[in-house]
Amino acid sequence: MTTEETNSSGPDPLLDLRRIVKVYHTPAGDRPALKDINLQVYPGEFVAVVGKSGAGKSTLINVITGIDRPDSGEIIIGGTPIHTLTEDQLARWRGKNLGVVFQFFQLLPNLNLLENISIAMDLCDTYPVRDHKKCALELLDQVGIAEHAYKIPSKISGGQQQRVAIARAMANDPPVIVADEPTGNLDERTAGEIFDLFESQVEQGRTLLVVTHDREIAARATRQVEITDGEIRGLGVGS
Amino acid sequence: MFRNKRRNGDVQVAIKDASLIDLRGVSKAYKTDAGEFTALDGVTLQIDQGEFVSIVGKSGSGKTTLINMLTGIDRPTGGEIHVAGTAVHHLNESDTATWRGKNLGVVFQFFQLLPTLTVLENVTLPMGLCNLYTRRERIERARHLLELVGIADEADKLPSRLSGGQQQRAAIARAMANDPPIIATDEPTGNLDSHAAEAVMQLFESLVDQGKTVLMVTHDPELAERAPRTITLANGELLNEYLVRALPTLPHDLLLDATRQIETSLFAPGELIIEHNAEPDKFYVITKGDVEVVLPTPDGKEVLLDSLGPGQFFGEIALLNGGLRTALVRASHAPVEVVALSKEVFLDVIHASKETLSELADIITLRTNRLALAGSSQ
Repeated sequence: MTTEETNSSGPDPLLDLRRIVKVYHTPAGDRPALKDINLQVYPGEFVAVVGKSGAGKSTLINVITGIDRPDSGEIIIGGTPIHTLTEDQLARWRGKNLGVVFQFFQLLPNLNLLENISIAMDLCDTYPVRDHKKCALELLDQVGIAEHAYKIPSKISGGQQQRVAIARAMANDPPVIVADEPTGNLDERTAGEIFDLFESQVEQGRTLLVVTHDREIAARATRQVEITDGEIRGLGVGS
Repeated sequence: MFRNKRRNGDVQVAIKDASLIDLRGVSKAYKTDAGEFTALDGVTLQIDQGEFVSIVGKSGSGKTTLINMLTGIDRPTGGEIHVAGTAVHHLNESDTATWRGKNLGVVFQFFQLLPTLTVLENVTLPMGLCNLYTRRERIERARHLLELVGIADEADKLPSRLSGGQQQRAAIARAMANDPPIIATDEPTGNLDSHAAEAVMQLFESLVDQGKTVLMVTHDPELAERAPRTITLANGELLNEYLVRALPTLPHDLLLDATRQIETSLFAPGELIIEHNAEPDKFYVITKGDVEVVLPTPDGKEVLLDSLGPGQFFGEIALLNGGLRTALVRASHAPVEVVALSKEVFLDVIHASKETLSELADIITLRTNRLALAGSSQ
């Protein structure tokens, strides 16, 4: 069993993975992707999970977001054991409790930026409908894109699109944001800017878990953990 | 002129007889480091409600730019775009978004479903933008749409649990969320196997049967043929649709050459277009109505050789074989519109394509055989 524990005397973890196992059954035989993973992320932490391609990073983030299910183990986020929820319940729960940022942004190409944010609000009742536009504009302002609010995604750069995706992840004010290779499709300078944005979110009290293969940028997180062959180990506190 | 427009069984409303989509001289130019690049050049085009139109052309021909203009995703640098009576080119950004949400469903090659939402949520997602339905209605409507596309059982699953074909059907249901009159799609089957592609095409056909207008960009000629009408672009210009149908093997650059030089003429019912034994001067392609090809006999009677309609051509025999016109051609009982190429332009263009020349030779053989048969039976 591999363990990564910090702060055990502090508050309860916001994100708590206990003994997560995930095995993929392939024609070439079983391939264990996650081997008994334990990981706790505490409120206000900025955690980077680093690892090579195939190490289990994507599987890890997919079980946290509920896109994939573990074979065994428990995932407790903000006190909710999400491994017990149906996909339908999970999707509704996630809207309010977990913001997700993807490598390829996943913005809807036919909607302008404002609409891309406000549709995420429509799914939850966090804000009254009449406030959606105002809230969406505020979020776009926070990520520095307000002037482009009425453009469609293809009219702005990749870095700007990822900012919009981050704004969308925050649409229903979730306490935790997870990001899957959020800078994997961006140049170095733009990647740095995205991490600036993450840092400012953490300063505002959000909790962040970022999966990346880029060790240099991972060093900007407050804590790094490494995943190798489906097992996790701590790398200590970053710069 | 007025006609009735019916939508979804609503009360019939008399509207001005205009096309659903009306493009007038639409151009789009981009400034690049290498100078100005013209993506679309003076495109004029009408599409009616209930049409299924494929848009084809080589890579870089302007087909994606065209569909982005039709759908208000991009703005023209010249010309006018009217859709269902709205001057889309005049809308500001915010109004364009509202207009697009209500009038246009879009289906993409890579589905673009949000991975963390269930299929049902993906379908309800655009409904919040238009406020046409209450919250309760949205869920009912989404389930109904998923039933229509045949994946009601997958409603509460995440997209990643569905096959590609099922995901595309979910994307079509999402495109229908606000019941738009127009569905626009760019390579909708590009990422599907042939079986799933067929199901998606049948779904588009059933939407057309229900009165929706479907616009499909594709590079696949077989797929394009599924649509009753095909629009071809070359170099940012529209090729004459009827010329393309008449001479399908002619390369696009030659078709563009010919399109630029066509003359359009109208003929009243029964009016003579080609006189028997006249000097040949033009090649004709029918764009509206039907013509009769007739051989006058020495005793003053007539033998009807052929009846030709839109997309078919006449006047090629004497131009290619030499000699005088072999038969007379006149408009049938309705007005006829033709596009014509002068003898010089026609011969230049045809002689630049061996394939087209040999295809024409086959048709000429058929037609002259019929002439000979009709002449000998007199």
